[in-house]
Amino acid sequence: MDVDSILQKIYDWPISEAIRTDYFWFPFFESIHVIAVTLVVGSIFIVDLRLLGITSNKKPVTELAKEVLPWTWGLFVIGVCAGVLMFISKATNYYNDEYFRYKMLFILLAGLNMAIFHLFTFKTVMHWDRDVPTLTGAKIAGGLSMVFWIIVVFCGRWIGFTVM
Amino acid sequence: MEALISWISSTALCQAIQNLEWAVPTIQSVHILAVCVMLSSVGMIVLRLMGKAGLRTSVADTARRYVPWMWGALIVLFLSGLLLIIGEPRRELTNYMFQIKMFLVLCAITVIAIFQKSAIRNPDFWNHEPESGRIKMMAVGALILFFAIAVAGRWIAYVIMDYAAA
Repeated sequence: MDVDSILQKIYDWPISEAIRTDYFWFPFFESIHVIAVTLVVGSIFIVDLRLLGITSNKKPVTELAKEVLPWTWGLFVIGVCAGVLMFISKATNYYNDEYFRYKMLFILLAGLNMAIFHLFTFKTVMHWDRDVPTLTGAKIAGGLSMVFWIIVVFCGRWIGFTVM
Repeated sequence: MEALISWISSTALCQAIQNLEWAVPTIQSVHILAVCVMLSSVGMIVLRLMGKAGLRTSVADTARRYVPWMWGALIVLFLSGLLLIIGEPRRELTNYMFQIKMFLVLCAITVIAIFQKSAIRNPDFWNHEPESGRIKMMAVGALILFFAIAVAGRWIAYVIMDYAAA
C-alpha cells in the first residue's frame, strides 16, 4: 500500500470526517494546539535566552532548565496530539502541503540541535552553569533553537492559508 | 462602526495589507510569537505561585524577571493586532468573538498591572503561608483568563460572517 492510499484511508475515518465537517471540533483542537505550541516555544525561548546570556543570568543554567523543560515536554506531547487530530481531518492535504513539510523539517532540525547540545556542549555545564558567560557552543545552540522555532511558528501559520 | 470600517478600508495601509499576499500571515506569525512570550511568562509566574516551579526564586524576583517581557510582548501584540484590524477591519471589528477578546484583554492588562505592583511592593503577602490557598486560586484564574484570550483570538476566524473568509 502506498502513502497516498494510507492517507486517503485516514482521511475517510469517521473521526477524521467528524473533525473536518463539524463546526466545533477543528477550532477546538486548533486552540489547544496553539496554546500548547506557544507555551512550548516560549518556554524554550526562556532557556535559549539564558544560554545566550540575555536573561535569567542570576539563575544557574541547570536550575532554570530543570524548572522549565519538564513542562515543555508535557506541553509538546499535548501539542502533538492536538496536531495529529488536525492532521487526520485532512491527511492528504496536509501531507502534500509545502509549509507542513517545512514545519516538520524544522521541528526535526530543532530536535537535532537539542540532541547535539545535550550530547556534547551540555556535558561541561558545571564549568559555565553560573556566574560566568556561557560557552560559545551553548550560545550557538540557543541561537539556532530560537531561529528554528520561529520558522516552525511561521510555517504553522502559513499552513492555515495553504491547506483549505 | 460602518463609517469607521469604510474609512479604514480606504486607507493606503489597508489596501497594501490586502494586496500583499504574505502580509496577513506574516503579521499573524509575529502576533503568535509575541503570544509565545506572553503565555510562557504567565506560565512561569503561575507555576511559581502554585509552588510548582522556581521555588528558589522569590515571587518578587519572578515578577521582575517576567513581567517586563509581558509588557514588551503586549506592545508587539497591540501593534501587530492593530495592523490586522487595519488590514481586515470588517473581519475584526464586527466580530463578536473579537469584541469578547478585547474585553478579556482589558481584564488581563489590569491583572498584570495589579500583580506587578503588588508582587514588588508587597512581597510579604506573596510569601505568606496562610494566603497560599487564595494565591493559588488567583493564579489558576489568571491562567484561565489568558488561555481564554488565546482561544477567543483563534475563534475569530470561525465566527460566521456575512462574507466568506477565515
